[in-house]
Amino acid sequence: MHDGHVLVFLALAALAAYELGAWRLRDRGDRWPPARDAVFALGVAAAIFPGVPGFTGHVVQHVLTGMLAPLLLVLGRPMTLLLRASPEARRRLKPVLGSRPVAVLMYPPVAAGLEAGGLWLLYRTGLFAAAGREPVLHVLVHAHVFLAGLLFTASVCRLDPVRHRVGLAPRAVALIGAAAAHAVLAKTLYRTPPPGTVLAAADRQAGAELMYYGGDVVELGLALVVALTWYAARGRAARRGQPPTWMPGRRAGSFSALRMISRTTGAVSPRPRIR
Amino acid sequence: MPEVVRVPERGDVRRARSAWAGVLAGVGVAAFVDETVFHQLLHWHHFYDRSTTDAGLVSDGLFHAFGWFALVFGLVLVADLRRGDRLSGRALAGGALTGAGGFQLYDGTIQHKLLGLHQIRYDVDLTPYDWTWNVVAVLLLAAGLLLLRRAKVA
Repeated sequence: MHDGHVLVFLALAALAAYELGAWRLRDRGDRWPPARDAVFALGVAAAIFPGVPGFTGHVVQHVLTGMLAPLLLVLGRPMTLLLRASPEARRRLKPVLGSRPVAVLMYPPVAAGLEAGGLWLLYRTGLFAAAGREPVLHVLVHAHVFLAGLLFTASVCRLDPVRHRVGLAPRAVALIGAAAAHAVLAKTLYRTPPPGTVLAAADRQAGAELMYYGGDVVELGLALVVALTWYAARGRAARRGQPPTWMPGRRAGSFSALRMISRTTGAVSPRPRIR
Repeated sequence: MPEVVRVPERGDVRRARSAWAGVLAGVGVAAFVDETVFHQLLHWHHFYDRSTTDAGLVSDGLFHAFGWFALVFGLVLVADLRRGDRLSGRALAGGALTGAGGFQLYDGTIQHKLLGLHQIRYDVDLTPYDWTWNVVAVLLLAAGLLLLRRAKVA
């Protein structure tokens, strides 16, 4: 159970760091909604969910660690918290976040390729069987599934401040493409087992169905994040751009005039505001 | 008779956006009904059929993934048009029926028949099922296109 202890330790450290940051913000009077603490904690719990015997148990872990945990963790906006809570981290991370490799990795289609490609390699080559024999390989595969899922989710959701903006289309295409690749992979597993493995047909088919529908639940969550952030951004743009006559109870007040000035003088941050 | 020069104007943009929001929501609702009613509640459709081709699996995966996204994004688009008071109800309804009918027709002809994804129901004579399925699809599609045309005239 050595691996398990390491995981629990990492999880507790992540939770403690998050709560320390949130406490710092609240202590100085900043708003940090408790819902973010809650989803982050749930995400950490889902990420370290222990493996259960059998292929269906493996799929439960795959859906929780590689798909649901990343979504919950990203909803907790840990990077925003880190940048706001620690000036030291902000100073050091800023050049990294603005760097070219990060921009490439955070481009949704690239992240989707890394995620879906990794899963296809795992289940449709001898890798799955090999990971069952070699404990080190198993740990590496598990870590890749989690990290690729996290990268993909962060690149599609873009809730944390990212230096490079990406439009709606690459995010939507990456999400639909990755979800489709996942659904097709699940159905191929229903048809044939991963090469080099012997699995009870009923167990494998139950696992494949779980993978297909579990993927749906997470895709639905991701689609909601993409659609609602688009909706909010449209609202902000409309309020900035023209007098919001169509919004009841709101008038074109001083704040939009202020924005107008800052826009015309070019004194506007190229980076999305850290919320 | 004075000649009327029609230029693309706000009304056209408004109708086009409403229609596209409808198409997305329509495809999404049709995919959702297919999954919940025919797969999960009735258990008529099968998850996998031994005659399923690889192209069938890819088509299923793409439309399945697109369906969920289209449902969510179509509804949010409607909300966005509504808050700006730019929603054309007739274009929305026309788009929704067109989207739902189009998806059902594709599902009933290409996916079920050509790609052998799965059949509507098993251990029965399929003829009445296939006809009902595709006639309903064509009716939805025709009603949708008619509404879209009316929305343009109005």
